[in-house]
Amino acid sequence: MTWWSVVRFLHVTGAALWVGGQLTVSLIVLPLARRTLSDEQRAVTLRAIGKRFGMFTGAVFLPVQIATGIAIAVHKGVTWESLTEPGYGRILASKLLLFTAVMACAGLHGWANQRHPPFARAMAVASLVGSVGIVLLATALPAT
Amino acid sequence: MPQVEMEFKRTGTRLPRASWHAVANAVVLVWLGLTAVAVVARDHLPAPQWLLIHVFVLGAVTNAIVTWTEHFSHALLRMPAPPRQWPLARLVLLNVAIVAVLYGTSGGHAWLAVAGAALLLAVVCAHFTVMALRSRNALGGRFRHVLTWYVWAGVALLAGGTLGGWMASGHVPARWHARIEAAHIHVNILGWVGLTVLGTLFTLWPTVLRTQIAESTAKIARLSLRLAVPGLAVAVTGLSADLRWVAAAGLALFTAGAVLSLQPFVTTFRRRRPHNAASWTLAAGTGWLVAALIADLVIVATHPPGEVAEKTEAYVPVALAGFIGQVLLGSLLFLLPVVLGGGPAALKRNAALLERFWIVRLAAVNIAVPLVAAPVPGWPRTLAWAVLLAALAAFVLPALIAVGRSLGVRPPAAGIAVGALLTAAAVVFAASGTSAPSSVTVTGGRTVDVTLAGMRILPGTISVAPGTRLTLRVTNKDAQRHDLRLGTGQATPMLAPGKTATITVTVAESIDGWCTVPGHRAAGMTMRIETKAVASGGGGRSGGHSGHASTPGTDHHDMPGPLNLAAPPSPGWKPYDATLKPAPGGEEHRLELHAVEKELEVAPGVKQTMWTFGGTVPAPTLRGKVGDVFTITFVNDGGMGHGVDFHAGSLAPDVPMRTIQPGERLTYRFKAARAGAWLYHCSTMPMTQHIANGMYGAVVVDPPDLPRADREYILVQGELYLGGPDDAARITKINEGRPDGWMFNGTAAGYDHAQLKARVGERVRVWVVAAGPDTGTAFHIVGAQFDTVYKEGAYLLRPDDDGGAQVLDLAPAQGGFVETVFPEPGHYPFVDHAMRRAETGAHGIFEVSK
Repeated sequence: MTWWSVVRFLHVTGAALWVGGQLTVSLIVLPLARRTLSDEQRAVTLRAIGKRFGMFTGAVFLPVQIATGIAIAVHKGVTWESLTEPGYGRILASKLLLFTAVMACAGLHGWANQRHPPFARAMAVASLVGSVGIVLLATALPAT
Repeated sequence: MPQVEMEFKRTGTRLPRASWHAVANAVVLVWLGLTAVAVVARDHLPAPQWLLIHVFVLGAVTNAIVTWTEHFSHALLRMPAPPRQWPLARLVLLNVAIVAVLYGTSGGHAWLAVAGAALLLAVVCAHFTVMALRSRNALGGRFRHVLTWYVWAGVALLAGGTLGGWMASGHVPARWHARIEAAHIHVNILGWVGLTVLGTLFTLWPTVLRTQIAESTAKIARLSLRLAVPGLAVAVTGLSADLRWVAAAGLALFTAGAVLSLQPFVTTFRRRRPHNAASWTLAAGTGWLVAALIADLVIVATHPPGEVAEKTEAYVPVALAGFIGQVLLGSLLFLLPVVLGGGPAALKRNAALLERFWIVRLAAVNIAVPLVAAPVPGWPRTLAWAVLLAALAAFVLPALIAVGRSLGVRPPAAGIAVGALLTAAAVVFAASGTSAPSSVTVTGGRTVDVTLAGMRILPGTISVAPGTRLTLRVTNKDAQRHDLRLGTGQATPMLAPGKTATITVTVAESIDGWCTVPGHRAAGMTMRIETKAVASGGGGRSGGHSGHASTPGTDHHDMPGPLNLAAPPSPGWKPYDATLKPAPGGEEHRLELHAVEKELEVAPGVKQTMWTFGGTVPAPTLRGKVGDVFTITFVNDGGMGHGVDFHAGSLAPDVPMRTIQPGERLTYRFKAARAGAWLYHCSTMPMTQHIANGMYGAVVVDPPDLPRADREYILVQGELYLGGPDDAARITKINEGRPDGWMFNGTAAGYDHAQLKARVGERVRVWVVAAGPDTGTAFHIVGAQFDTVYKEGAYLLRPDDDGGAQVLDLAPAQGGFVETVFPEPGHYPFVDHAMRRAETGAHGIFEVSK
């Protein structure tokens, strides 16, 4: 148990909250809202949930993940060159690229929410599926 | 003249065949997406250029041609609908064939490539046969010329595909290959794609412009086809048969036919200017067709057919992106919204989606296309490719959305697809590359000459120890072009006859290599770099793959083999400074000495981890005079126990020479009571290992009244054992005293590359210490005589004596110096005159100038 355990704890917990939050909203809140709330109520509630989640992402999740992620990488001795090497480097690189793509999808979801609801919906699902993909890649990183 | 209407009419009802078109065009869009992937992943593909071209032309374009020729024929000739299951079966078979050709050719599975090509030709043949048969009952005689153009395009593909299959089979004789390739390129791009495009433009162009078809169209269509088809046939015959002027004449005839066929295009253009994305893109694509034809005509007229394929290579991207790509995208911009249907609102929405930013896209593409072919290096080309990619993506993604809408794909399903695709791409990238053990220890370096000739790569097998840094000097000694690509991704450029290129690879496990010219891999142009554990017993290689007669000297085994001492050192390598500075003033010398493990260049281009004092081999040289006191703070920053033993001091070993553990330090204080060239070394057992790994250095204690010399150098000679410190085979070599080489100052033959300087008439003093661990030295300077020899504390020879000396002989751990005056400018090698040791690295050069 060192301070690095704490950093890793923050990184894993942040990811769990973000992916878990999306899953909860998509699989539990949305179907229930559709069943129980009127159209107007639903729109208001869901927009509020989306806004809150977006704020959490920008203010807490992203800073924590990026800061702890960089710290862990530096601690492990990851360099820019090592990211292209097969094995650990390449898995980490693809995880970072997928993370960037997922963040882009999440951003597009927020942007399109008012303008193109079906597109926003598709982006939300893409972001969710991609997040699960990030977890998959994280488990593939050789533990050392 | 009636306006062309048919199914193009922007009607408000969903077309019955909309979902078929959604599926068929989704296939085209997927191939376009794969084309973008092929551009991005180019350097990692087994046959980069070939795959990129064929994913686009064979995947996207051929699918589009088959789908749309059927559509146009039925629409224009008012033919009955095709048999029910036929379009779908055709689509499946066609794509199976395409995948087989792509996978078979790039992977070197000739039979699969040939089978794929045969299936492809059969499908296309069946497609046009069905169309021709059904057209006999059709009503629309006015547009029959369109079908004739299509059928001749199909005939062209039969010829071009046959040539392609022949090349993929690997059975094209080497001296024909370049000409057959030129014929293949021409008949496919000009015939299969060109005739289809020109035949389609007769009706598609006025339709896109929403104007009437020019009156003379049917007549011109018939006339121009009579020029174009024979012209192409003659051109292809001329290219195949090595008849330059026949080829040029045929191509001129084809160009005349093509230009004539564009006459209605120009007439229509003048009557009604393009006004939307589709018409401008089509116009630009047609413009590039004419430009490409003229450029091609010049190339064919000025080069023998055997060089045409190579010369046209630079223009292929222009033809592909400028002409074919823009015509395809321009057509789809117009046709996709129409055939996807869904009512006027959907049509408008889809058209707006596809045409977004079209002016910017159009301008960017047409600026980028010539840049891709231009002989400009670096970022403008990269930027041009990026623009083309972005333009492609800007079409494919909205088009996929439009197709998805037409097929009724719900947003969540689309989202799942996007997320899954992103994840799949990331996983493929993550898993790519050989999952080599992350710590490959470089155990040696070699250069091997590789020859490409007669459909063979020689040597066919190279055996090396794992971890070898292998440099392949690849020379094409054939009359045609070849390259060499390794499974790890390293590759030479395409080499013209006589050209040479090198590739360097650190061999972690066995690697396959091949020539990426289509068919050459199948014809046997393969090689393999095999890894072999270093056996402690010598002896030859047994078994092993040998697909061909190997000549002596071309097959390599028994690694680590002879070091390549002539190889260039790694960039940035700095030799150990052999200059010996005068002793610093004062009577006490302090030094902090750290035991550290460090990767060092032990022979030109060969790096391996060494155990060192202070990060260098040999360790820093200490110098003082008799009576001086040396205080050494020894710090162990290594991964195991180390100690130190200074021969220059006399004391009880018990405490100062003890082994200290990592992180510990000790103070070693000695008085230099006697003059000499003394060794110091690690005192921890087994000392063979510690000294062989580099833990040694020299202490020079000047004799009283040592005369001044113009230059003083220090050379510490040591043995070189290749491999990692824990390598069992290496430890055996150390124990048996079988070094791979010898080093002066830590690098075998290092001073061959960084020569030591001297001037004529200068007195040069060379201090020599033999570190061993097992062998001493017979130090000699070729072309020079020593007038002074000082060995182990005593002068054996002084300048006033009558005699001279040729060698300073030192047993392991002895030291001394010699002096000489070089008589004239030149290059004087210095060696250990035990020649086996000189030839394996105990060798350097004095460069003597005036």
